[in-house]
Amino acid sequence: MGHPILPPSTPHSQKLTSPQTHITFRPCPTPPTSPSYEVPQREPGLGAAIKSLVSRTTRDVEAVKNITFDVAPGEIVGFLGPNGAGKTTTLKMLSGLLHPTAGEISVIGHTPYARHKDFLNRITLVMGQRNQLMWDIPVADSFERNRAIYRISHGEYNKTLDELNALLDLSDLLSKPVRNLSLGERMKCEIAAALLHRPQVLFLDEPTIGLDVTMQRRIRAFLGEYNRRHSATVLLTSHYMADVEALCKRVIIIHHGELLFDGDLNTLIERFSPHKTIVVDLEVERADLSAYGDVVTAEGNSVTLRVPKTKTADVTGKLLANLPVIDLTVEDPPIEEVIEQVFSN
Amino acid sequence: MYYLKLIWIFFRIGLLNEMAYRVNFYVQLLQSLLSLGTAIAGLAIVFSHTDTLGGWEAIDILALLGVFMFVGGVIGMVISPSMSQLMDDVRLGIFDYTLTKPCDAQFLASISQIRLWRIIDILLGAGVLIAALIYRGLDIGPREALAFAFVLCTGGSIIYSFWLMLATLTFWFLRIENILHIFQSMYEAGRWPIGIYPHWLRYILTFLVPVAFAITVPAEALSGRLTPDSLITSGLLCVFLVVISRWFWKRGLKNYSGASA
Amino acid sequence: MKYYTATYWAFFKTSLLEQFQYRAAMAIWMIGRILEPIIYLTVWTTVAQTRGGSVGSYSPADFAAYYIVLMLVNQFTFSWIMHTYDFRIRQGELSNFLLKPIHPIHADIAENIAYKVMTAVIIFPTAILLFFLFEPNLAFHIQTFAVFLLALGLAFIMRFFIEWTLALIAFWTTRNEAINQMYFTLGLFLSGRIAPIDLLPDAIQTLANALPFRWAVAFPVELMLGRLSQEQILNGFTMQALWLLAGFLLIQLTWRLGVKKYSAVGS
Repeated sequence: MGHPILPPSTPHSQKLTSPQTHITFRPCPTPPTSPSYEVPQREPGLGAAIKSLVSRTTRDVEAVKNITFDVAPGEIVGFLGPNGAGKTTTLKMLSGLLHPTAGEISVIGHTPYARHKDFLNRITLVMGQRNQLMWDIPVADSFERNRAIYRISHGEYNKTLDELNALLDLSDLLSKPVRNLSLGERMKCEIAAALLHRPQVLFLDEPTIGLDVTMQRRIRAFLGEYNRRHSATVLLTSHYMADVEALCKRVIIIHHGELLFDGDLNTLIERFSPHKTIVVDLEVERADLSAYGDVVTAEGNSVTLRVPKTKTADVTGKLLANLPVIDLTVEDPPIEEVIEQVFSN
Repeated sequence: MYYLKLIWIFFRIGLLNEMAYRVNFYVQLLQSLLSLGTAIAGLAIVFSHTDTLGGWEAIDILALLGVFMFVGGVIGMVISPSMSQLMDDVRLGIFDYTLTKPCDAQFLASISQIRLWRIIDILLGAGVLIAALIYRGLDIGPREALAFAFVLCTGGSIIYSFWLMLATLTFWFLRIENILHIFQSMYEAGRWPIGIYPHWLRYILTFLVPVAFAITVPAEALSGRLTPDSLITSGLLCVFLVVISRWFWKRGLKNYSGASA
Repeated sequence: MKYYTATYWAFFKTSLLEQFQYRAAMAIWMIGRILEPIIYLTVWTTVAQTRGGSVGSYSPADFAAYYIVLMLVNQFTFSWIMHTYDFRIRQGELSNFLLKPIHPIHADIAENIAYKVMTAVIIFPTAILLFFLFEPNLAFHIQTFAVFLLALGLAFIMRFFIEWTLALIAFWTTRNEAINQMYFTLGLFLSGRIAPIDLLPDAIQTLANALPFRWAVAFPVELMLGRLSQEQILNGFTMQALWLLAGFLLIQLTWRLGVKKYSAVGS
């Protein structure tokens, strides 16, 4: 009773809203009906505390206001935004844990909130700060549990496990109880548990949070590989730009529940970074290049300049014409800087 | 003075904590009234079939119920939450913060958590006790009152020392927070006079889990049943347990700092 | 069907493994459930002795039989699901269950059965020990026992459905301890734990007959003790069936509404 990934030609794919769309997210056609909820407010201090026994003030909070997007099958989309931007809320809506007050959400042809079994069998949600594995028992036993729930046949299960094992190096971990694993090991197992049923759509909420750089790279590489092999659609939120740079061609940036940007990572840099970085190696040491642009660093015969994007060609030409240049490269600024730029607008 | 001030501050913090969830007050009020109602209804059912139970009349058992609720309230307000907190702190390694304070660690640990609303149980318990005494026509003299106060204090100290020793075990064994629940379960037996239970159970409730000294003995003092033997045993056991639990605590601390160093 | 047996088996196995890690804690948590019947057994035995031998139709040996069987029935039918749900919903752990293509009640039932199997190691020796300590008046008839097992099974499912429904109240209030406590208090009286039902005042007996508590606990006990007439037994099974159906329907309703509430944005 395995549930392998269904290729696009199976009957299921006919349910898709269009062959080119795996996910449609339009929870809010007009701003007034956008989802909102009440949070209690309380001031500090004993007096206020006593007052709150009798009366309570609340304010409305809007989780997501103006976010709409579509995702094509096999795409990896990065979700960026500061804490509280609405990233998790969006992922929860997409995986059917929250339902929007209005609008339309469609994932692989299903309305997530209906939590149809076919839908649940084809998606997965991984939350970096929450685990589904049972704390006190060996990982393999928790896997067995999921195997039963998702009706995975033994053959299919072993195949998947072998594959996950090869990619994530789980073999030593499976016999250990979760509580004895390090955070990174636990995350590897969590991800494996979430993929045992070979979901077509992966929602990953901060899958690399708290992990060291090596483990982050590991998980990242795995997700990329999984996406290539199974052409799974991946929606990923992360605080680490490296995750996004490595995996996502397309990014969606949200802030205060509003969509700030949706498009190519390169376009993002193009649009929001007004500067380029020029690194020149000269035959002379300690040249003063402040006339050409802002000097970021100057070490030995290498100088890093920051110049307005529109002047890049101009400055490059002048540098090459006027100075004994050995090598010259033009780079985009680090993506963190670009994102900051987006938020500050 | 310093210690009194600390107690006051911890109470104030307890109040602030409780205020953060105002519903707790009503929940606790409801729970306390429910358990009082349950207890009285239970008494009514039993005494609809008899006039005395093991030599105790209904009104004496009502007084016993008052003591039961009063002591239970004290345990629930300070002792139980503080001891659980201590065990959590040791397990999570944040007990170090307590040790670095310029104050006796046992004292700090013993009042670290205060569930203030359990005061409702204390007040209800005292109310029931006083009501029972008034119903009996306030027939107790100063000698009985003094004896009652004495065995209530010694009983309370016995209970506290017992809890402290259970909690102190955490310095050697990390994952035993459930051990405190042994007491909670056994405490329920205290709502009836210990004397009615079979020998083996009476023995357990007197010396293994000293519920008898905290509830039955004080209630005996009020109804003129207290024997000099009980009075002296209670006093001696109190001194013994307070000293031994303090010693045990120090041993535990030594083990703790030895292991974490 | 095959899917459900396989899934139940997986749930059962993992729950058993998990609970085995907490065997000491589980033993400790059983103290209360063992002590309570002993307390009331002692109280009623004392009353019987004071009255010169019996209370109503119960002699001390009858009380002993009643409370030992009650301890077993209560152990096998009780659930802690009301506390679990409070935690699950507050910690957001329910999300894990909602993402799975199977109704979460199955995992809960399997977990409960695993717990019962594991604690059988404690409860049966305890019952045997109490048997020798209190010398109960308990005769064993195979037919009675068979009917008792049926009543016990129905009682378990019925009680589980009802408590699962009540547990779902946690969707609407984050503090359902008050409701739990009320349910517990009612159960103390109406399921025959404080006293056998026929020793209670008439008004309470009427209430006990209408509500599910009696049918979940006292009914199988009285059946096992051979205190019920054929008519009373039939009536008991009818009440069990009715409450089972009611519980089943209530679950459908509350679960649907509860999940809707849980998944409203921002909750």
